Amino acid sequence: MRNPALKALLAMAVAGLFAGPPAARAQDAASPAATGPAPAPTAATVPVQLPAEHSWRLGVALGYGSRTNPLIQSDDIPVLVDVDIAWFGKRWFFDNGDIGFTAVDNRFFTANLMARVNSDRAFFSKTNTKYVTFARAGGGATLPAFDVTGGPLTQPVPLKPPKRDYAVEAGVEVLFGGEWGNATLRGFHDVSDKHEGYEVSADYAYRWTRGRLSVSPTVGVTYKNSKLSDYYWGVHPGEASNVLFEYHPDGGLGWEAGLHTNYYLTKNVRLALSANYERLQHDIAQSPLVDQDYVFGYFAGFGWQF
Amino acid sequence: MAVLKLRIFATCCVLAALPTFAPAADPPVRLIVKPLLCVLDKGATSCTMTFDVRWKSVLAAEYCLHDGAQPAPLRCWASANAGDLQQARQVSEEFFYWLTEPAGAQRLTEVKISVLRVDSADRRRERRTRHVWDVL
Repeated sequence: MRNPALKALLAMAVAGLFAGPPAARAQDAASPAATGPAPAPTAATVPVQLPAEHSWRLGVALGYGSRTNPLIQSDDIPVLVDVDIAWFGKRWFFDNGDIGFTAVDNRFFTANLMARVNSDRAFFSKTNTKYVTFARAGGGATLPAFDVTGGPLTQPVPLKPPKRDYAVEAGVEVLFGGEWGNATLRGFHDVSDKHEGYEVSADYAYRWTRGRLSVSPTVGVTYKNSKLSDYYWGVHPGEASNVLFEYHPDGGLGWEAGLHTNYYLTKNVRLALSANYERLQHDIAQSPLVDQDYVFGYFAGFGWQF
Repeated sequence: MAVLKLRIFATCCVLAALPTFAPAADPPVRLIVKPLLCVLDKGATSCTMTFDVRWKSVLAAEYCLHDGAQPAPLRCWASANAGDLQQARQVSEEFFYWLTEPAGAQRLTEVKISVLRVDSADRRRERRTRHVWDVL
C-alpha cells in the first residue's frame, strides 16, 4: 500500500463504517411505496409492493459474441456462455469475481472496499508463437529486423508475446445512482506484488426502459499508471530481442463506450444485445505488444435470470 | 466428417420438430391474454397496460372472467363458447386472470401477468462488473 491517494480513500471508507447501517436505504426503498394519484375511472389499480430481493443473483446467457484481443499474435476471445453469479449480504458481497465490503451506504452514495483480479491479464491467455523476419512496432506496424551483424534478418526467429501474471488488486469503489442514471468511481492498487501500480476509473450509465425494451448506453474513462501499464504492456529487458524492442509505456487515460440492450420475453428470459468499444491509452497503444489500439466486443443471445 | 455433422444436425432438427406434428388435445377451456409482462424501471411504480383477453371453450356454457383486483367477476357470458374483453389498468404487481363457471369457485383456467423490476434499491446490484461480458 505505497500509494498515498489510495490510503486516503481507504481511510475515508473505513471511517464510514461508523456512519450507520448500510442496508437502511435499501430497506426503506423496498418498503411499499405510495400509489400516487388515483387512477382513471376506467382502470383498476393494484397497490405497489416491491418484492424483497434475493441474496443470490444467478443467471446465464447463451449466444454468440466476440471480444477483440489487442495483443500481437493472439486470438480474439469468443463469448458463447456468460455466467452471472453474485451474492449480496448486508455488508459483504460477491459479484462475479469481485469481493466487496460495504463501508458506507446512504442516500447519496455507496462506498465499498473491494478486492478483484486485474482484467488486463485476460488478453495474455490466447497467444501464439510466430516465426518472423521483421520487428514489431506499435499499433500493428512492422519494421525491418537486423541480425547481430547489422544485416537484414533473413532467417525467421520465434516471436511469442511474453507471459503475464494475474494481479490481485484492492481498492475503493463509490456508487451513485438515481433517476439520472448510475455512476461509479473506482481506485485500485496492486496488493500481490505483480505490477505494483494503480488504476482509477469513472463510468456512467443510463437505462431507458420502454415497454419490454431496455437500452443502456455507458461511457467511462480509466487511468492506468506507468507501473501497471508497463507490467502488462511493456517489453522488459529480459523479453526484448531484435524483433521485439524494449519498451516502457507511461501512464495514461483510456476511454470506453458501450450499448447494452435487453428485450424481456418473460420475467426470467430476455434477449440480450451488447456492444462495447474501448480505446486503449496512447502509450499502451504504441507498445510493440499491441496490434490494435482498441478492444471491440459484442454479444447477442438469450439470458436467463434464475 | 462434414456429412456426419450435417446428418446429426438434420436428425436434431427432425426430433425438435416432431412434437409439432403430434396431435395435441385441445384443453376444454383456453384463455389467452396479451400482454403478459410489465417491466418496471427507476421511478416507475406501475405499467399502464391494455389487456386483450380472449377465451374459447369446446362446450357452450356460462363462464365468468375474473382478475385479482376485485372479488366480483369482470364479466360473465351466458351460453357462450367464446368471448373477449379489453381492459385498461395500472399494473404494479403480478396477478391472474381466470375463468370460472358461475356456480363454482374452481378456476377452469388461468393466466398470470408478471411484473419484473429491472432496477434495485441496492446500488451494488446495479454496478458494472469486471466481467468480460456484462449482458445480464
